Amino acid sequence: MALLREIYFKLRWLANQSRFHSELADEMQFHIESRTEELERSGISRAEASIRASREFGSRMKAAENTSGAWQMRWLEELFSDLRYAARAFRRNPGFALTAILCLALGIGANATIFNITTSFLFSQPSCRDSASLIAIREAGNSAASMTDYKFLRDAHIFDGMAGINVEREVNWREGDRTSRFYAGVVTDDFFKTLGIPFLLGRGIAPGETDTAVLSYRIWRSRFAQDPAVLGRKIILEGRLYTVVGVLPENNRSIFGFGVSPEVYVPVAHDDEYVQVYARLPKGRTSAIARARLLAVLEQLDHIHPYDTWKRTDKNTRVTGVTGFDLLNQQMPGAVTAFFLMLLIVVGLVLLIACTNVASLLLARASSRSQELAVRLSLGASRRRIVRHLLAESLLLSTLGALAGLVVDVVCAKLLNRLALPLPVPIRLVIEPDWRLLWYSLGLVLASALACGLLPALKAVRRDINNALKQDERQTARTWNLRSTLVAGQLAVSIVLLAAGFLFLHNLLRATTMNPGFDVHHTIWAYTRLVPEKYAYADPDQRKQMALVHTALDRLRSLPGVESAAIAQRVPLNDNCVIGTQIQTDVPSSTPIHVQYECNNVGPDYFRTIGVPILRGGEFSAADRKGSQPVAIVNETFARTVFGQTDPIGHTINTNLPNDKPKLVVGVAKDSKYFTLSENQRLAVYEPYFAYNEPINLHFLIRVASSPAPYVKPINDTLGHLDATAAIETKPMNQALTLALLPSQAAAITLGAMGILGLALAAIGLYGVLLYSVSRRTREIGLRVALGATPADVIRIICRHSLTLAGCGIVVGLTLALFAMRPLAFFLVPGLSAFDSTAFLAVVGALSAVALLATLAPAARALRVDPLTALRYE
Amino acid sequence: MSDESLQLLPGTLYMLILRTLAAGPLHGYAIARRIKQCSADALDVEEGSLYPALNRMLLKGWLSSEWGTSETNRKARFYRLTREGQKRLAAEANEFDKLVSAIQLVMKTA
Repeated sequence: MALLREIYFKLRWLANQSRFHSELADEMQFHIESRTEELERSGISRAEASIRASREFGSRMKAAENTSGAWQMRWLEELFSDLRYAARAFRRNPGFALTAILCLALGIGANATIFNITTSFLFSQPSCRDSASLIAIREAGNSAASMTDYKFLRDAHIFDGMAGINVEREVNWREGDRTSRFYAGVVTDDFFKTLGIPFLLGRGIAPGETDTAVLSYRIWRSRFAQDPAVLGRKIILEGRLYTVVGVLPENNRSIFGFGVSPEVYVPVAHDDEYVQVYARLPKGRTSAIARARLLAVLEQLDHIHPYDTWKRTDKNTRVTGVTGFDLLNQQMPGAVTAFFLMLLIVVGLVLLIACTNVASLLLARASSRSQELAVRLSLGASRRRIVRHLLAESLLLSTLGALAGLVVDVVCAKLLNRLALPLPVPIRLVIEPDWRLLWYSLGLVLASALACGLLPALKAVRRDINNALKQDERQTARTWNLRSTLVAGQLAVSIVLLAAGFLFLHNLLRATTMNPGFDVHHTIWAYTRLVPEKYAYADPDQRKQMALVHTALDRLRSLPGVESAAIAQRVPLNDNCVIGTQIQTDVPSSTPIHVQYECNNVGPDYFRTIGVPILRGGEFSAADRKGSQPVAIVNETFARTVFGQTDPIGHTINTNLPNDKPKLVVGVAKDSKYFTLSENQRLAVYEPYFAYNEPINLHFLIRVASSPAPYVKPINDTLGHLDATAAIETKPMNQALTLALLPSQAAAITLGAMGILGLALAAIGLYGVLLYSVSRRTREIGLRVALGATPADVIRIICRHSLTLAGCGIVVGLTLALFAMRPLAFFLVPGLSAFDSTAFLAVVGALSAVALLATLAPAARALRVDPLTALRYE
Repeated sequence: MSDESLQLLPGTLYMLILRTLAAGPLHGYAIARRIKQCSADALDVEEGSLYPALNRMLLKGWLSSEWGTSETNRKARFYRLTREGQKRLAAEANEFDKLVSAIQLVMKTA
């Protein structure tokens, strides 16, 4: 406390130095004048009194110096002088400084980039006014609430404004005769007003408006060429006219977080919409009070519009913040968070290797400077002072390294911001350097300065002064020293990194070649999105939509080369739906069993088209439609789990879901993958597509005789002729697996890159140590050559050193890797073990090859040693 | 500085300044004069150490300072005891008393 106050006073003094000096001069002048007057009063002449007073006071300069000395921060000024001294030393030795800065720039740059990506993805700060006073409301833990509930809450006026958004919507945008699909955020009319979202152009959707739209920056750029006259333009969305009233800035981050950013925003059009609910807390109200008041209102709602199966005042009803850990805990699967955590650890290891390189360089420098340091010590410099001086050198290096590293980060962020991820959700990261990155980098600078500098500095002052003054360091060269330990450690860490990299590369290969259980090489996926105004709203029985589907299927089947075509509610590995329920069969003496299964509604010929064999029974037929006997096809795992040894065909299954009827099992399909390639085998139940009302999103699957690429255009055209307002995207099925492969790809790319970076840094370290040891052993080698050693003997000396280092590194590294890989099994596809012997072998091979490369130049240098020159040192 | 004046014991200057200011705010010159007067001219504070000492005490928060007008109607910097300074004075005076009586005890009995 007292120390803090002192520092505060000192800082204030630093800021007002010139005023302090003039005031001190005034004060001393006053002192002397007062003394003069006093002397004058005792009867001395004014002139003499003035001289005597001045003499009595002594040197004013010295007094002023002593006085300001009380205020100065010695350590700060010493630090600056140390830094200046270090900068001069680096200018004299630019090769050393550049190598060190480059190593640190790579290490710190990689760390800053990964940290920046992690914070912008997991801890995205929404572009809203005062986001700290915003809360997210989840009725009974559900992510979305009905518009009825939203309006009731809004009209209860318990908050300073409310906002609702559904980010999972799509709209068809018609331009001339072309229709494309866009990701839309459907928002309540008070959304922009409550959240206070900043705009690039125009304004948000205002309360009461139903036909205005807001564009994202990237749509404004790609569709309107950044035309500022876009405000007021009319666009056709879902067959309706909307007026553009605003454009969001490029760095807009949605309140939803995780980089989710809709391409256009339109107002909620119907009361059957569901929205995520946000509210602004009145000033000074805590979220606990807000929750209590919210529950009171929800209780009224439960009375007026009760739900059969759940209550809104459930204990899961939550009120949470919209930033930081609140957001993370609510929304993100643990695996994603764990993956980012692992990435941060891995880049931390890369930085450790980089720091070890710099430490090794500093050690070499300290031993060649030992005479200079010994002279300074013997002249009375304290050891502490010299350690501080040496640490200032590494601080300067790490600061320069961090500056270069931040440039690396900014470049990477620019590239990543342009990247459009091939995902079925509108995720666009806005990666910008921010204050969090600044603090993190500052931490990295200090940590790496200590990691690089502390060991060499302590070692430098622990040397015996007498020896250092007398002797040339060359004579005390040992083969195994601290630097060798550091290099072996580096190699060990890079083994761990490489092993992780190879493991994930192997994982990617396995995932790419893994059989998803259906045929992706002869199938095409045509996604057709109809306009709801023309179909769903105008046609409650869906006669028109079903007619369109049948016509489409007939036309597709008649295309040359098409073997079969089918429709499905979902395409596996792109979308899923999991139902958890109690299942009761009609098998006598069977007991109900609670299961979770994947569900999908599929049309006739689906299994033939997608290449999933039906093991028993048959496919759905055209007769399975609304009103007919409810039927189902189950997968093997479902049959085994629910029916055991009994053949399920001809039996019924009954769920405890509301309004559900017992279903007759008519087929058993072979197991396949449903949502991710790495999932454990799941249960699945298929039901007939035409037995239910289906959404306007139509997924046609088409099986063709040969390679699918040439069929894409004819299929797209065929579907396009049916309805010009529909948005159609057609692609071969193997391209549609991008979502499923993305995690494996991201992991393989990042960890592979980190492994290579770590190996490269460790190789530089090995090379440096070997080269240095050759230069230190010049005399020894010269002597040996003079005594008759052949070039082969010389090479053997160097290689033995290199092999010892690499060998130690490999042994220690493999041992570490065995432990470090264990938790990574969490991220791997099933069947791939974390103890991947292929990966370990590959890593040892790669490291040996690199070690050999790093040995070449030092060995060549040793061969060039001339015995005459070398021995002249004596 | 007269020849008959005593050397200050190390560390006692702070205590003397604190004690002098206990009666009320004074400027630097008045502090020096007061110490000299009260000690019957035995203690003479060197100007070269008075101002550094005052500044160190400001830094420690024992004193605060403000500009005012002196008795001769000139601008002068007045020093005032803070609450922290009062506590410090009590502590130092107490300790000093103990020290002096201990020394005297040794000098008289040994």
